[in-house]
This record gives sequence, C-alpha cells and structure tokens, in this order.
Amino acid sequence: MLMQKIQVYRSGAVRRVFEFKAPWLALTAGAVAVFVAIPLLYIFLRAVGADETAWQRLLQTRIWRLLGNTLALVAAVTGGACVIGVGLAWLTERTDLPGRRALRWLLALPLAIPAYIGGMVYLTLLRPRGGLIPQALEDLFGQQVATPSPLGFWGAAFILTLFTYPYVYLLSGAALRSLHASMEEAARTLGRTAWGTFWQVTLPSIFPGVMAGALLVALDILAEYGTVALLRYETFSSAIFVQLAGRYDRSSAAVLSSVLVGLAMILLWAELWIRGPRRFTQMESNWRPARRVALGRWRLPAIFFVAGVAFFSLAAPLGVLVVWSFQAFTDGQVLEAVFRTGSQGLGSFVWNSLWTSLLAAALAVTLSVPVALFSIRSPSRVSRFVSRFCQVGYAIPGVVIALSLVLLVNRLLPFLYATPLVVVMAYVLRHMPQATRSSEAALYQLSPTFEEAARSLGRTPQQTLIQVTLPLILPGLLAGGSLVFLTSLKELPATLLLRPPGFDTLAVRVWVWATDGFYIQAAPAALVLVMAAALALAFLLHREPIINEQG
Amino acid sequence: MSKKHLLSIVILLSLGLASCAPALPVVTTQDASTEASEAPASQVVAGELQGKLVIYSGRSEPLIQPVIDGFSKKHPNLEIQLKAGSNSELANALLEEADNPVADVFVTTELFTVQSLAAQRVFQSYRPSNADRLPAEFIGPEYQWIGLTRRGRVIMYNTELVSMEEAPKSIFELTDPKWEGQVAAAGSTNGSMQAQIAAMRGLIGEQATEAWLEGLLDNEVTFFGGHTDVRKAVGAGEFKIGLVNHYYFYLQKAEGSPVGIIYPDQAEGEIGLITNSTAAGVVRGAPDLPAAQAFIDFLVSEEGQKLFAELNYEYPLLQGVAVRQGVEPLEGFRLADVDVSKAALDFEATFQLMERIGLP
Repeated sequence: MLMQKIQVYRSGAVRRVFEFKAPWLALTAGAVAVFVAIPLLYIFLRAVGADETAWQRLLQTRIWRLLGNTLALVAAVTGGACVIGVGLAWLTERTDLPGRRALRWLLALPLAIPAYIGGMVYLTLLRPRGGLIPQALEDLFGQQVATPSPLGFWGAAFILTLFTYPYVYLLSGAALRSLHASMEEAARTLGRTAWGTFWQVTLPSIFPGVMAGALLVALDILAEYGTVALLRYETFSSAIFVQLAGRYDRSSAAVLSSVLVGLAMILLWAELWIRGPRRFTQMESNWRPARRVALGRWRLPAIFFVAGVAFFSLAAPLGVLVVWSFQAFTDGQVLEAVFRTGSQGLGSFVWNSLWTSLLAAALAVTLSVPVALFSIRSPSRVSRFVSRFCQVGYAIPGVVIALSLVLLVNRLLPFLYATPLVVVMAYVLRHMPQATRSSEAALYQLSPTFEEAARSLGRTPQQTLIQVTLPLILPGLLAGGSLVFLTSLKELPATLLLRPPGFDTLAVRVWVWATDGFYIQAAPAALVLVMAAALALAFLLHREPIINEQG
Repeated sequence: MSKKHLLSIVILLSLGLASCAPALPVVTTQDASTEASEAPASQVVAGELQGKLVIYSGRSEPLIQPVIDGFSKKHPNLEIQLKAGSNSELANALLEEADNPVADVFVTTELFTVQSLAAQRVFQSYRPSNADRLPAEFIGPEYQWIGLTRRGRVIMYNTELVSMEEAPKSIFELTDPKWEGQVAAAGSTNGSMQAQIAAMRGLIGEQATEAWLEGLLDNEVTFFGGHTDVRKAVGAGEFKIGLVNHYYFYLQKAEGSPVGIIYPDQAEGEIGLITNSTAAGVVRGAPDLPAAQAFIDFLVSEEGQKLFAELNYEYPLLQGVAVRQGVEPLEGFRLADVDVSKAALDFEATFQLMERIGLP
C-alpha cells in the first residue's frame, strides 16, 4: 500500500485478458467482497432502522459537535502531517542534508509506535500540574511553571501528527525520488527560480503521492480511539466507543457509526476525485536522479527541524519507555504484576498479539489473491467494483467493525462467539484493503507473458497459478501481509470490545494499565509491542528504494 | 455445532455435580417463589475445584484482582478468566449470551444493573453459606444476587488548594461558579456515577437532577472515564475537588497526597449521603456452576470481605467484619434512602437523561 502507488507505467505494456476468466474466480472474489461488505451493510441497515427518536436526539445534541470536533482534528493533523512529511521528504531526498541514509529509517520508524502509546508517554510527562515535568519544575523553582498541556484539541493534534506524518513522508519521498531530473531542469531553463520550480513543477508532480499519504492520515484520525480518549478530546470514534462500552446503546452507536463511515467514504472519494486526472507518466529508460540542492545557510535550521521531529516522535517516547521498563524490572512488585496478572502474564500477551496478527495477515493475503487475480487479470466493470468493495475496510473504523461483529457473530456464528477468532476476523475486515492493494500492485507489475508461456507449455490454469504466478508475486504478498500484521498489532478499539474473557493482547494490556495509571507497569509491554511492530516495518521498508538505495 | 453439544454436556454435568451437593433450606423473602428454596449451596473443599471460572466484573481490574488472587490460592487447579469492563457493557453481553452463556459470575459496582438483570432472568438463585449474616436489603429477590460491599459518594479536595471550611459540604455546591473548572468527576460510562444519577432521580426528581447535571456542565466539570484519574488529578492538584466513591480518597491519601474528604449533604433537610453497593450473581446456565458458587461464597466469606475492607477501604456488608481502621463508619452519617425496586425503568430513564443533556 505504501509504495505501490508509485508505479512506473510501462508504456505499451499489454494487459491481456488472461485465462482466469473461469467462473470460480469471479465467484470467489465476489464472495470475498460480500464478506468484507457485510459489516458495512449491517451498520447502515441498523442506522436506517434505528428508532427515529435516536436520530432526533443525536441530531439535536451530539452529532454537530462531534462533527466539528472530528473534522477539526482531521484537518489539523492531516495538514500538519503534510507539511512535516513533505518537508522532511524534500530534505532527505533533495538536499545535501547530512546523515540522509540513517534519517530515512529514523523518520519512518514512528509508524511502529501506536499513537496511544505516544499519548500515554506525553500525558504522563506533561499533564498539567500532575505530570512528571511540571512537578519536577515545581520542585526545582518552588513554584508552578507553565508547560504545554497534552490535553484537548492542540495536544491531540500535536501527538497524532507526530505518529502519522510517516505516511506522507514515505509516499512523498518515493514520489520525489522517482521524479525525473529533466522536468525540474527544464523549468529552471525556462526561467523559473528554485522556489518557483518547487511550487510549479516538483509539488504538482509528487501531488498524487502526497494525497495518498494524506488520505491514509485522515482515515487513521477518523478511526483513532485510544489517543483521543486518553487526551479527552471527543470525536465520532470515541463517542461510539462510549455508547458501546459504557451504555451499550446500539441504536445510537449505529447512527453515529453510519455518519462516521459516511465521512470516511467522502474522504476516499475526494482523494480519487482530486487525484483522478493527474497521472504523470515517466519513461524508465533515461531516468536519472535530480540534482541535490545545497542547503547553505539553511543547513542548521534544517538539521534542527529534522532532529526536532525525530526527537519528539521517536527518541522521547522510546527513551521514556526504556527508562520505565528499566524501573519496572528493578521493582519486584511491579515486575511480578508484569509477568503475572490474573492467570496471565507478559508471555501470553506477546503470544496472543503475535498469533492473532499473523493469522489475520495470512487470511487477509489469501483472501486478497482471488480479488487481485479477478481485477487485474480480467478487468471489467464488475471486477473493478469487487476490488473497490474490498477496500471499504479503510473507511470502517475499528469501533464500527466491533459493533457489527458483536451484533452479527452471536446470531449467525455462535460457535465463534467469545473466541479470539472474532478478534482475528475484525483485523481481517479492517485491514483487507492493505492486502488487496499490495496483491493487486504485485500482480500488476507481473507481465502476463509469464503466465501465457506456462499455459502454452501445457500447464493448466491452476498449475500456472501455483507454479508461476504465486511464486513471482510472493514478495508483494509478503509486503501486504507484513503491513496487515503491523496494523493488526497496533489495533486497539476492536480488540478491546471483542476480546473474550481472559484474552489480552499487548495493545489491550498497555491500554488497561495506562488508563489505570500504572504506566511503569505498562512500559515493558509497550516496548515489546513497538519492537515487534518495528520489525514488521523494517521488513516492509527494506525493499523500498527510498530506504535502501544510496543517495 | 459440536462445540454447542459439548457445552450443553458440560452444563448438564456441572448441574449434576452441583445437585449432588446438599441443599440448605432457605429463608424465603417477601416475593420469593419456590425456586429460591431449590437454590443449592455448594460446599466445596479448598483445592478441589478444577476447570475454568469466567468472571465478568464491573469493578475495575485493580479492585477485583486481589480478591480473585485470594480465591485462586485456595483453588490452584482452577483457571480463572476475568473480563473487566463497564457494568452496562457486561450486562448487555450477558443478555446477548443468554442462550450460550460464557460467564459464570457477574460482579457489579451498583445495584440497579443486577436488579434489572435479575428481572430479565439472567441469574440463577444461589444462597451462599453466609447469607444469614448479610442485611436483607442487600440480597436480591430469590437470592439472584448478593450484595458484597457498600460505598459512599463523597467529595474529596486538595488540602493545599482548599481549606476544610471552604470545601463544599453538599453535592449541590459543585455547581457554584466559584468552583468553575476546578471539579473532576467520572463520566456517564461509570457505574457509580450512573447509580448516583439514578438515585438522585428517585430522591429529588427528574427535573432537579437534570438541573444539577446542567449545572455541572455549565461549571466546566471535567468528566473522566474512571475515578482513578479523578483521585490522581485531585491528589496532584490538577483539580481542587473531585466527586468520587469514598475509598478513592483513602487510596489517594495512602499515596501521601494532601487530600481531604467531605461526606456531603448531612445537614437537616439535605438528601443525606448517597451510597451504593457492589453485588454479584451466578449467571443462569453458568458453564462451571460449582466454581461460580464457590466464588460467591468466597466473596461474602470473612476472608473475602476483609480483603475488600482492608485493601480497598470499602464497607463490608457481612456482619462482624470491621471497616478498615481510619475509615469513618457509615453509622455516623445520615444516609440517603435509595430505592432500587424499579431499577430497570429507573436506569432506562437515567440513560436517556444523560444522553439528552450530553453528559460526556
């Protein structure tokens, strides 16, 4: 999903209709689409069927305030992430900033830190009066010293920006890198200044990448629960969670959910619409990188900016987690709680997190293969529709998935009820788009000639699929799988609502402890979670040119 | 399918086992039917229980885990699984699961939820061995639920920021503009807060309760998800005043914070101290009935009650178990008279009220 947006369009590449036109493919792909769409349809049915008074009550009181809150946060964070992301991408791709190679890794890594863990760290440090920093300052100076508050709109916007900008950074970085030198050179030759060239040539060329990143940030913020709940800023997601967890008012939850999903749909559609006609085709043959800009006297401010972002989004939260983990390991009582809470301990949280996320990744990738084959190898209006449908998961926040599964599973699949498999199901539904996009991109880049050769040498379509197609797209499938794994590992609201008794994942445990104020106890689990996510991220990034190429 | 069969076999087996235990005669309460007298009491010997006990708890994890640990020590071969959440979330899960029960025991932080669940036949009767040492008003109809502990709704304040004379003596003073932005409370998802609002509807009527809540909102009271945040915020001085259950004051005081406590509304003509009780019931069709009953027995045993009293400063309901030293006994206060008989109706109206005024 991250990079596949940036495809070099092979001119003249023939996309022939392949033999996988067999009805079973259409049927399988259709079945996957139905499976993915069920929660969405169910929510809409519930919302439409909801008591009229539920709508009226919500319209009169909460919806407008929630709408304002949510949109303001989405706008602020997306804007902030775009400025920081594009700025950093330009600095590491286009200038002579020192240490670029290492920085590309460091600046992508905050993606491995769930925002609510960042929120927990900043809240504990900076909480007005009660925080560690305000208290230390008060002890030092003997009086209160004003410190920035992590609470409310600005705190939430700042913290969420810190942990979502890498989407924009990675995608716009890749776009900058694939940009041809001759475009900017032509602009300069025609009399544009360096600044004018940036605005009129560079930025429009990387615009699709920036928009793709911005879309991911915006959808992430719409779905965000943990951070906003922790920082006491009410959005649609947190309001739905309250309805579900605190009052269990399903009609109101369904009404709010349908509005939230509607918002996400508008965003998805807006991105398609804005990006639609812009497609910059470049020939691979004579590509060479653009010249780097010498920063000159801007060198120091640039270093300061990059170091500041890396400090707040990576060094500070990780450093604090390491210190707390160390404190946890030196305090016998805390240590005992970490390794044994009820009948469980850290080991079982790690195991639960890993197996559910891995299973979700495997299932999502497996389900995405027929959809990708159908949409890429036999393109048609129907197959495109099926493919789009498999991407609605982007627009269904975790709380909404949880709501629909809570309502559906006990009725239709009672043997699954109160098992961890419901949690896995939520992960698959929610993260299916990432797998679908990765598989489609991998298949798109594989020339059908390989498959045609196998067929002409006497292989059946099934043999061709197993012996030729799947092995060749395996790296793409693995990338999609690791992305699903990474996001499932970080998932919080659906896991919280759907977990069976006694079943805790790392994310849930960190959350439960953090909300009870046991942050030192939560730190080791948080650290393990971040490390596991970082490994998946590293696997994902090492194949990306933005990370591993010299420059 | 096979799982469902297995489950029903397990249920049958466990019912069979339970009925082997000698049944004790039961004192029937006013509206008790014959069913109550069939409620068997388990007489499980320590260490005998095996299998899996699933507990749904509206008491947050830190407030139930020590008691579970105490029970677990007696039955080391029993696997115990806890799901802690809000009362209403778990209550709805119980209703949802009625045909296919997952939980064995439900523990709540107030009586409205258990009372309304009892009316919906979610529990099965069970008379714990200590039942005759519990006050009758804290036992559900037909022994469907059993009260555990009592808590008072109090005002705690930061003594560095507020003097004792200055501190509000009534919950109605919390809407006074002089405390604007200085008060913290738990929000609409918290069981104790819900129960307080439900109780106030009964005491002073819907309109006055609504006016009080509107006053809190106008006064920019900050509503947290739970009381732990409230007590920590007041302890640190982030807020001057908090509306909490009484033990949060003692827990915060034990951490060395400068906090004071007011048992509000004690003057003549005022509503008195609002209290609520925690309670527990055995889920109808509990997969592991012997373990469920043994756990209820433990909760109202002297040992279990002492754990609640000593570790969490609560008022034990079992006669003969003392409050922890330093905790003001409830006998010294005028208590508000809270009626939970129309619980389901009351709660429905309470949720609508919170929704209508948009309580966070």
